[in-house]
Formats: sequence, C-alpha cells, structure tokens
Amino acid sequence: MTKILSTILSFLIFSCILYAQDKDFKEVNDINKTQTELAKLSKNTNSIQSTFIQEKHLSFLTENIISKGEFYFQSPNKLRWEYSEPFNYIIVFNDKNILIKDENKLSTFDTESNKMFSEINNMMIGSIKGSLFTDSERFKVKYLENSSQYLLELDPKLPEMKSMIKTIEIYIDKSDISVSSIKMIESSDDYTSIKFVNRKMNQQIDNSKFNLK
Amino acid sequence: MKSEFRIQKIKILHIIRNSKFVILNSIFFSILVVISSCSNPYKKLSKQDYSHSQIKNIPYALPYSEKTIIYKTDIRFYKNDISGLLIIKKTDESVYRIALTTQFGLKIFDFELNQGNLNVKYCVEYLNKKIILNTFEMDFNLLLMQMNFESLTAYDNKMESQRVWQLKSGKLNYNYIQNINSDKIENIRFKKRNSEKISLGLHSYKGDIPENISLQHHNIKLEMNLKLIQ
Repeated sequence: MTKILSTILSFLIFSCILYAQDKDFKEVNDINKTQTELAKLSKNTNSIQSTFIQEKHLSFLTENIISKGEFYFQSPNKLRWEYSEPFNYIIVFNDKNILIKDENKLSTFDTESNKMFSEINNMMIGSIKGSLFTDSERFKVKYLENSSQYLLELDPKLPEMKSMIKTIEIYIDKSDISVSSIKMIESSDDYTSIKFVNRKMNQQIDNSKFNLK
Repeated sequence: MKSEFRIQKIKILHIIRNSKFVILNSIFFSILVVISSCSNPYKKLSKQDYSHSQIKNIPYALPYSEKTIIYKTDIRFYKNDISGLLIIKKTDESVYRIALTTQFGLKIFDFELNQGNLNVKYCVEYLNKKIILNTFEMDFNLLLMQMNFESLTAYDNKMESQRVWQLKSGKLNYNYIQNINSDKIENIRFKKRNSEKISLGLHSYKGDIPENISLQHHNIKLEMNLKLIQ
C-alpha cells in the first residue's frame, strides 16, 4: 500500500515539475548573450532526422487532432515531411521545387507559383535554422528561458502573415541547442504544435529522400 | 388455296398496321414520358407526404452524429487545388462547425452553419468572396440537410430499388435518394427548375457515416472529394 502511495506521490511530484518547467519561462536577462548562444543553432544544424508529432487544437473540439510522421532537413534548403498518420502524405521542399505525394498521386509546384507553401517552407526552415528570429523586418522577437529550454516568441509584422498567424513559439533545448518543438498560434488562439522527438543531428541523409517519383 | 393465301395476307397487313400503331403509340408515349419527366420524374410513382418534423424519417445519420467527423478532402475549384482535413462537428441543434485545415494544421476556413446560414469565423483571403461563400453554404446545407423547405414527400421507385425523399422549396428540389436494399442515402441531387445543379455520391458506409463522398457542381467547375479518416 505504501509502495503504491509513494509511486503515486512521486508521479504527482514529477508531473508538477514537468508542469512547472513548461510554464516557468522568464524573459532572458542578457539578450546579446542569448543571441550568441542561439547562433550555434544555425552553425550546428547541417541536417536533422526526427519523428514528429503534430497536434491541431481547435476551440470547438475537446480533443486535438493528431498527425505523425518522419521529418528530414538538409541544409541549406531541403525539407521532407513524411506523414504516416492519419494518412500517407509526403511533401518535399527542394530549393525552389515542391513535390507532393498524396497517397499515390504525385504533383509538383514551384515555390514562386504557390505563395502559401513558399511561406510555410520559409517559416519551417527559418525556425529550425534560426534565421527566423534574426529577421527583425518580419518578426518582433521575445526571448524567454527556463532551466532547460529557450522559448522564442515571434510576432509577425507583415499584414499577410499576421492574418494567418498571431505568434510562432519556438522551443529550443539548452542541452544541444536544437529545436524541440514549434507552436503556431492563430489569431483565434487555435494552434498547431509540432514536437520533434528522437532527433538525430547532422547524420548523413540520402539525397533520394528529397526527390519523389 | 387462294382464299387461304388472301386470309394470310390480310392477317399480315393487319399485324403491320397494328405494329405501326404500336410504334406510333410507343413514340407518343415516350414523348409523353420525356415531357412528364421534365416536370417531375417521380410523378407516376407512389408517394407519401410527410410533415416538417418527420424529416428524421430520412435514413441519413450524418447530420445527427454527435462525434467529430474528419474527412481527408480535395477541392478542385477551377484551376485551384485545395487539400487538407475537413472537420465537421455538431455543436448544438442545427448548429455545426465546419473547418478545413492544411496538412500542416493551418486553417483554410472555419465556418459555423447555423439553421442553414453560413457564418464565417475565419477564411483565407482568396476564398473569402461572397460568391464562393454562398457556394459553400449551399454545399454544406446539402451535405448536412440543413436547407429550409416547404414540403417533404417520399416517392417509391421499386424498379430502381429506390426511395426518393424530396424536400421542396418553390422551384428548388433537394432529392435524398435512398437505396432500399442497403437502407442508406447514396445520392443527393439539388435541382432548380428541374435542371440539376449539384450532385453528391455517398459510398462505402462505415456504420452510419459514408466513407467516400464526391460532390460535383454542374454549372461551375467545382468538385470536392472526401475520404473518411475519423
């Protein structure tokens, strides 16, 4: 009985710590120092391979909509999102080309002809590479931290971006200066959060991952 | 012998005359059928009138489902392809939220359909035009059976194993076509002065909810294909 109680108690304490970690973000004291620290992000990130879990929150739903898959990034501008849930869907950004495989149908676009995809591409690569929060023309940036993470809050300045997104939150682990999650909050407060788990940094990624046939 | 031959000849002539009559008759009859089908194709079928509140007799569960329904959706609108997840949630009696998000989660639109009226909570700029919103209003009203109507009549088409539930409002007809064998609504047709404007096919039911829905407009280049996820 005492064993069960102590397990429950330790679980509760652990949950409280986790909760506190998540909430306890304060503005950083020295922005310049943080910026120097975060500059490592773009230097350190040549490639990423990771599982991702995407959660969509809509105010009128009690449960979030979950999507999952594999994520690949190769510097400077190659990206592959391979969704396996709730259905198979692959989107590849390779320089100026966008390739989409929707179940078995392949389609190609170029980023110039599709503004929305181009914007998403810039946002994702910019978040991961760290170029987004140095883009003071397009974003107002707030630097926060807790004991284990940095949190960057980016408010878009351009009206076309503002109409889609209120704030982008980028969570960066202090241990290896890598992005652990991104949260895109819309003006209605509905949000999409993407968590990167089992991240493998700077490992060789086969070039075929950025081509679709 | 000769008289026998004459009798046969008369008989043959009679048959020819008769068959001419039959052919003429059948042409006349087909013209009649075509004319009558222009006015109401179900006129000759046995029918039964229902009151407004008996709309629940239509075996169509989608509008009444309390669950969150998610369809993988592809919309082709002229040369634009829009794809993502369509989320349908009944939030109250005759009130629905209908949202489309991209694969990455960003919202394309978020509508409330309240007693058949579409209210825009959010819509990307390129779709936020009155004519497009009116089209969506009509489409979702058809899908969720939310339109206003004056009368409800069911026609039994035994030859086709169908029962046609017809909601009528002036010159507008909304036909929910039930397959008698499967007991499911498999087609929805919207007609204005008997010319078809929108048709929906509902296939492979999973319980009460159709797994595949294809919606097609006949006067504009707009089609939607939905595939059930949840």
